[in-house]
Amino acid sequence: MRIQFNLIVGGFLTALVILAGLFAPWLSHLDPVLDADLMNAELPPDWTFWFGTDAQGRDIYTRVLYGARISLTVGIVSQLINTVIGLALGISAGYFGGWWDDLVNGLTNVMLAIPSLIFAIAIIAILGPGLPSLLIALGLTNWSWTCRIARSSTLSLKGLGYVQAAKTLGYGNIRIMITQLLPNMMGPILVIGTLGMGGAVLSEAALSFLGLGIRPPFPSWGSMLTDARELIVIAPWAAIFPGLAIFLSVLGFNLLGDGLRDMLDPHMRIRRA
Amino acid sequence: MLRFIIRRILQAIPTVIAVALLIFVIFSVVPGSFTSSLIADGRSGSDPMLVERLNKEFGLDKSLPERFTAYVYDLARFDLGTSFRTREPVTDVIGARLWPSLKLAMAAMVFAVAFGVPLGFLAALKPGSILDTVTMIGAVSGLSLPQFWLGLLLMYLFALQLGWLPSFGYGDGGLRYLILPAITLGLTPLALLARTTRAGVLEVMNADFIRTAYSKGMSSGRVVRWHVTRNALVLIVTTIGLQFGSLMGQAVVIEKLFSWPGLGSLLVDSVALRDIPVVQGSILVIVLWFLLINTIVDVVYAAIDPRIKQD
Amino acid sequence: MFKTLSLTAMLMLGVSTATFAQEPRSGGVLNFVAPYGASFATLDIHATPQTQDEFYGMAIHRSLYSWDSLKNEPALELATSVSVSDDGKVYTYKLRDNAFFHNGRKLSADDIIWSYKRLATPSNAFPGARYIADIAGADAFASGKATEISGLKKIDDLTLEITFTAPINPGFNLMRTNAAIYPADIGDKAATNPIGLGPFKFVEHVPGSRIVVEKFDKFYEQGKPYLDKVNIVIMEDSAARDVAFRNQEIDVTVLGPTQYVAYQGDAALSKNILEVAEGYTRNVGFNPNFAPFADKRVRQAINYAIDTKLIVERLAKNKAYRAVSWLPLSSPAYDTTAQPYAYDPEKAKALLAEAGFDKGFEFELTATQNESWGIPIVEAIIPMLAKVGVTVKAKPVEASVLSEVVPAGDFQAYMWSNNSGPDALAALQCFYSKTAQSACNYANYKNPEFDKLFEAAQVERDEAAKTELLKKANNFLQEEAPVWFFNYNKAVMAYQPWLHGLKPNATELALQDYEDIWIDETAPASRK
Repeated sequence: MRIQFNLIVGGFLTALVILAGLFAPWLSHLDPVLDADLMNAELPPDWTFWFGTDAQGRDIYTRVLYGARISLTVGIVSQLINTVIGLALGISAGYFGGWWDDLVNGLTNVMLAIPSLIFAIAIIAILGPGLPSLLIALGLTNWSWTCRIARSSTLSLKGLGYVQAAKTLGYGNIRIMITQLLPNMMGPILVIGTLGMGGAVLSEAALSFLGLGIRPPFPSWGSMLTDARELIVIAPWAAIFPGLAIFLSVLGFNLLGDGLRDMLDPHMRIRRA
Repeated sequence: MLRFIIRRILQAIPTVIAVALLIFVIFSVVPGSFTSSLIADGRSGSDPMLVERLNKEFGLDKSLPERFTAYVYDLARFDLGTSFRTREPVTDVIGARLWPSLKLAMAAMVFAVAFGVPLGFLAALKPGSILDTVTMIGAVSGLSLPQFWLGLLLMYLFALQLGWLPSFGYGDGGLRYLILPAITLGLTPLALLARTTRAGVLEVMNADFIRTAYSKGMSSGRVVRWHVTRNALVLIVTTIGLQFGSLMGQAVVIEKLFSWPGLGSLLVDSVALRDIPVVQGSILVIVLWFLLINTIVDVVYAAIDPRIKQD
Repeated sequence: MFKTLSLTAMLMLGVSTATFAQEPRSGGVLNFVAPYGASFATLDIHATPQTQDEFYGMAIHRSLYSWDSLKNEPALELATSVSVSDDGKVYTYKLRDNAFFHNGRKLSADDIIWSYKRLATPSNAFPGARYIADIAGADAFASGKATEISGLKKIDDLTLEITFTAPINPGFNLMRTNAAIYPADIGDKAATNPIGLGPFKFVEHVPGSRIVVEKFDKFYEQGKPYLDKVNIVIMEDSAARDVAFRNQEIDVTVLGPTQYVAYQGDAALSKNILEVAEGYTRNVGFNPNFAPFADKRVRQAINYAIDTKLIVERLAKNKAYRAVSWLPLSSPAYDTTAQPYAYDPEKAKALLAEAGFDKGFEFELTATQNESWGIPIVEAIIPMLAKVGVTVKAKPVEASVLSEVVPAGDFQAYMWSNNSGPDALAALQCFYSKTAQSACNYANYKNPEFDKLFEAAQVERDEAAKTELLKKANNFLQEEAPVWFFNYNKAVMAYQPWLHGLKPNATELALQDYEDIWIDETAPASRK
């Protein structure tokens, strides 16, 4: 019952965000950047402006729709980078063992010890603010759990008959890792990735607030929220709707992740990153 | 037990060293410098004479390997260097922020434990009930909120609309000033604690030895009290520890929003102004805090469940 | 013309609140805000170059000169009179005989000499060193060739003679908070227990939170300060500041464009807003080493192609005055008859074609995320310049990176807000060919004709003639367009209705003379 609830609601919210981003130009006839009219600044929600307007007189509904694109990009791309790094390090560490395993383990401990937001601040300081830096910063700092799971899965799979069989058949190491090990751990990895997407969207908002966010041509929810916080008293809707958008999309990712976990393995123990 | 503790401490040392080296490398390639940050607001023009003098004063005119050697040498003597900005020892600068940071982390944790554990426990006693469903949806929601948004809404509601609490600052260090930032910071651990408590209790309740206890005719009250509490405790303690250890790092955004004088706001400020010794020092302290709490958790863990020590 | 009028009107407003309001009331507590950072750097005012630290500096310390916000010029502060030699280089100051340090000791000429020597000592690496660099012998002292600064001479305890290397107005430099006077016997306590000559004594510093100061009874101005205590609280986040101000937890707040509009629209809040044309010029500097910008016509074309008025109105929300040339409205050398570049894309296109760029070109614009002079403004420029065939690529950087790459010349164009007041001579020196790019000639501007005007102004002893020369130089600069002249900042501060005595400080509005501020009976109990 609960499994279904999580999956359905999570899937629904995630789909909603994806659709909003994809079909933004069809869901609103306004432009998120250019349609700015000072005469319409800070209007409360009504039938013309469903979510009201911001300080520049831009339609918040339109901007929230387009903002989904950035948030999805941030969530998906950064998690892809994390997953690839985590898998590569984790599987190889578990598979080869020895000094490489020790090194990866040490690195994982270091990554766990430094809070990922602080790490991201440092990386953005090096690369300068902007979407690519943000993706790299969030993509390089959150792979430790993926790595741990991949490593322990590899360790338990390594001794199994079919992996041994592949070895005796003369398969190369890389081939074994990709064809034999990887498919058998995709469940938990998928769950971590989904949960991590929510984390990345929240991190984008936090970095925006700290002045290290992005100001792409299309608005990001984090930067909308950051800009609108000055309006919290006179135009609360400007802060409430992007905040709700972040909340609902992260909620979607989290519920989806929980649902996937419950469905794939009810006893699986994945600690949240 | 003592040997176990010592071993755990020794295990943490390579991590600390690696972190120290990593942050040195990262912040030696960061563009911008302390001297450039001084003119960033455009109020005064750049002053080459001052830049030269400051670089000499702080040893920034030396080569990277030389600076690195000095950094390692100082670290080995537990010396974190001198802040570019305050010109005081970094340990003093950080020391002044440690207590507010700890206070905030502890208050947030107390709030999280006080509500998270009982909620998770109650939810687990009647799985599928309305209380369970509401708690769990609430917990996922708590994990999905942008922190500064929540902080801002709380500030708006409790300070401006209701006038119950001050909206910002450290004030006299009293409880009134602590409440709003602590609640904002404590929400994530609260949600996580509710979830893990529920999961832990459920897992134990379904375990074989509980059924055995029932079959031996123990009353359900005693079963809950003795077995459930103790075994779920391991999971809860781990979660509390992990969260408590990482709270100092998570507090960055909240400290900035509430003008709370902790380590997090010091760190962000120091990154922006490129006060590198303070940046390195604060990160190191945050990491040490994390490792310390983790070690303590392991020890507590071992005390609750002696089998762990064999690990 | 209108602009000068409004400026005068604003100055009048400042005067009127100071003089025509009811009799100042003594007592009370002020909760003042320090909004430019999350902490104070150090309690040693000599050691800090940050504006943030001037918030306590204004309360605790005094310099030889101070800024007179009402007259808009430097004024003697620690001296009662000064006589100047015929060549304009030797100043003889008669010091106040009623100025006391917070430790109870009376000010003497020795304290000033000691303080300036402390500033000049190279190993101290103090930012204030530049402000006394014009004193004769400061160089020799700094390089270790002399143990004293030869230009500083004590005649008697209350008479000080300062010799300068050139006939300058020393007030602009010596009024700086960074050049404050310490008691000569402060020793190493400057950073832990600051002692100054100011109207308030240091009480406590909670790092990252606030500095508390209390009334100093032996302050030299009769009957001042009015306040018993000032809490200078650190509040960087503008949204939190807004809530705290509306919640009456703080007495003043500095407003950004968004809140400026909001406060203006509020019946109650709009009554207590203080505005001033601050001496900051927001601009886009062009690198002459980047081929297209070497041509004056290209630089002019960009000034024509951008609808500056629209951006000031829409994005800056009129919290700015459209810039004409470099010098700001508050400068005496500002030409009230000069007109800004008109918005004329056709002319821009023609100029570009003349310069051989009829097909346009592309350049990279380095900017921070600042809402008033950063990426948001660049975004507004992009479509405007695209219309004349010029492609702009925004390069976002952090503030401390901008201020590193620009003095190093590592840019094609940059957007910044630079101090352009109050000393017109110092402001225009940033375009003098002998000023290095690493100093403040960021646009690396070199023009012999400009140099001629500037050098003439430098040696001119007659104030009116000097101003006239600077005015010419400034107008010449407009024609030359080494930068895109965007706007002069309009600083806006909101204050609680019970607060009196704030002044329109054109050098930095948020810095106020605390000794003139007082609180009336309508203040809440926590302020009484």
